[in-house]
Amino acid sequence: MAEFNNDTLFPVILASTVHDIKNSLGTLLGLIQQLALKQSSDQLDEIRQLGFEANRINHSLMQLLVMYKIGHQKFDLQVEEYAAIDVINEARAQQDSLLQMSNVHVRVECSEDLLCYCDYQYISNALGTILNNAQRYTQQSVIISANKSDGYIKFCIEDDGQGYPVNLLNADLGNPVDLNWVNGNTGLGLYFVAAIASFHKDREKTGFVKIDNQSRIGGARFCLYLP
Amino acid sequence: MKSILAGKSILIVEDYPAMRKAIRDMLYSLEADTIVEADNGVSAINAISKTNFDIVLCDYNLGAGKNGQQVLEEVRFRKLIEYNCVFIIIAAEQSAGLVLGAMDSKPDEYLTKPFNAQQLFVRLERNLLRKDLMQDIEKEIERGNLSQAIQQCEKLLTKGNKRMRTHLLKMRAELAILVGDFDTGRQVYYDVLQERDLPWARLGLGIIDFQQGDLHQAASEFEDLLREYPMFLEGYDWLSKVHEAEDNLQEVEDVLNQAVDLSPQCILRQKKLATTADKNGHVEVAEKAYKAAVSLGKYSVYKSCSDFTNLAKLYSKTSNSEAALKTLADMRQEYVNNPEAELRASTLESDLHNVSGNEEMAKLSLQKALSLHKQLGSKTPKDLQLDIARSCYLQNQSAEAEAIMDGLIKTHIDDEAFLNDVRRMQSDIGMENHSEVLIQTTKRALVATNNKGVQLYKQGKFKEALALFDKAMTVMPDNKTIIINMLKIIMHDLKATAIDEEKLLRAQALFKKARQINIDRHKLGVLQMEFSNLLRNHVSEPKV
Repeated sequence: MAEFNNDTLFPVILASTVHDIKNSLGTLLGLIQQLALKQSSDQLDEIRQLGFEANRINHSLMQLLVMYKIGHQKFDLQVEEYAAIDVINEARAQQDSLLQMSNVHVRVECSEDLLCYCDYQYISNALGTILNNAQRYTQQSVIISANKSDGYIKFCIEDDGQGYPVNLLNADLGNPVDLNWVNGNTGLGLYFVAAIASFHKDREKTGFVKIDNQSRIGGARFCLYLP
Repeated sequence: MKSILAGKSILIVEDYPAMRKAIRDMLYSLEADTIVEADNGVSAINAISKTNFDIVLCDYNLGAGKNGQQVLEEVRFRKLIEYNCVFIIIAAEQSAGLVLGAMDSKPDEYLTKPFNAQQLFVRLERNLLRKDLMQDIEKEIERGNLSQAIQQCEKLLTKGNKRMRTHLLKMRAELAILVGDFDTGRQVYYDVLQERDLPWARLGLGIIDFQQGDLHQAASEFEDLLREYPMFLEGYDWLSKVHEAEDNLQEVEDVLNQAVDLSPQCILRQKKLATTADKNGHVEVAEKAYKAAVSLGKYSVYKSCSDFTNLAKLYSKTSNSEAALKTLADMRQEYVNNPEAELRASTLESDLHNVSGNEEMAKLSLQKALSLHKQLGSKTPKDLQLDIARSCYLQNQSAEAEAIMDGLIKTHIDDEAFLNDVRRMQSDIGMENHSEVLIQTTKRALVATNNKGVQLYKQGKFKEALALFDKAMTVMPDNKTIIINMLKIIMHDLKATAIDEEKLLRAQALFKKARQINIDRHKLGVLQMEFSNLLRNHVSEPKV
């Protein structure tokens, strides 16, 4: 029998397993969307929960993969120029059915002509992750905005919820050494987004993430800066 | 949502029925009306050869058989899709582009699973808009009408569409390179780089240095680029081209090895690595890469019997005739009744018998090879002809060997890389410099013919000059210098005298030939631009 070589076999198995899970997730999310259209209102809460969990599995899977790749120096971005509004719309589209079901009102503030350089998939997923959290903690509305700020493109997601807890506000987002803050879904998501941001570079500039509770509608504010 | 899909024909390629249905439902919810489905690569290609699809959504993983990337490569290679077709590969993973390692054939976009109708809509809208805007340029490029393409590009740039500006600038620079207008190309790249560090602009600067023959500068440009963007695969391909032009095969191998490590799925790069390592005598690297090329070739349009025989040849060099024969048997299973495959096998078998001292068998195989070569004629690939000649030399059939060498050298006299292969083969079998005299006389004869032709041309004797080159072409049918010179004369003739259909047709035929034998596109670009201007004036002139 051939020798079982973990180092060469694992990436292959990982790739095909991920492919399989993604197929299932795709079907699952589609079914949830259809169910939501058909079901009576008394079951909407359960369906909403179902959608939230499926989305979360997808994001966790993606985060796991990215971390695996970063660890194996296989991580690479496909950076190209995109309209910022497209990136926002993509993030919104990912979370669309959830936002609708939870009756969260989303306001977008972004000029049609604003362009940014980024990896479309990763950045829209990253914003989707934050949006997913925001819709969970917000009362009724979320603002997504993008504009130029000091040579960077700044994406902000603001909500009207309770705001970030103190331990997160005090955390150094670029540094997971102090793992305490990474604990829990919100922290993990933030760490992931900060990691993705830091891979975006233009000459001496590097992408980064900032959080505070200065939301214009009185909750948490997340900002992503891309060079 | 406005209906962007109305009237568009769409092909879904996906082996998993539930997923296929999900995509179909999404498309219908976006008001698509014409949807065709395929559940494997071969039926996808059949469908594409019958219908001009506006959109192809193709899953990467299609189970057994061709994968999505191979479908794309094949339809591009066979020119089955038009420039306005949006081809999207659906992949499970984010960094699909790198993993799949497309060398020439990149899809318009990779779409990562899972996705919903809105996400699909954003992608389709973006690509349809871009194709729509660029189609006036693409159309002219496809017609070979580069000056018109440049005009269109300039026109669109002045319209100030912010979203398309970078696409257009990139296109503008590439067109400038194609027509040999390197100053403009450089300027566009410099301007772009002022705003931001973009790897494609830096690559472009290196390409211009390379085209202008500044190999040293090109190499350092590509090396700097790769230091900062080690995942930028095109950089490796261009750097290896520079080293190839310097005939520095060790460097070529090193560079390709790095690229193959990053992206092992690309068959063309594996082939290149294999033959280079083989020439360098690096058996292990070559064996691994040939094997990869053979296995990646199974469902690929780039499948080639030479990968099998090259692998077998490698085994025979290392005296592993058992493995060599096994590889040939594998090949015969894949290529039934294929004359080129049979010819490759016979040539190699002759060598194997010869090495093992079985002269009778060796002779028989060689005879078979020679008669197959006679059938194929000039269709026998040059590397294979070289192998046959080698076997003939080794078995003391010099007359046959010389005849083949004579034809090869005359046909490929301006292909310096191949002439180096000729030299390598001969020193390999202890016949160092054997063909050097022939190479030098052929080169001198070519120079003489060209001088004579140019002289006649300067005396205004266009007809005589063309007749001289025509005659030279019967001896050197694929000679690039002669074809370029003929094109220059015809162009001058067309400008100086009345345009007639016959001359136009002749020019068109020569352009076609020039493209077939891969004359540098930028060398051809200037002439093509003049030609398209002539054609335009000719058409717009009132007929008397």
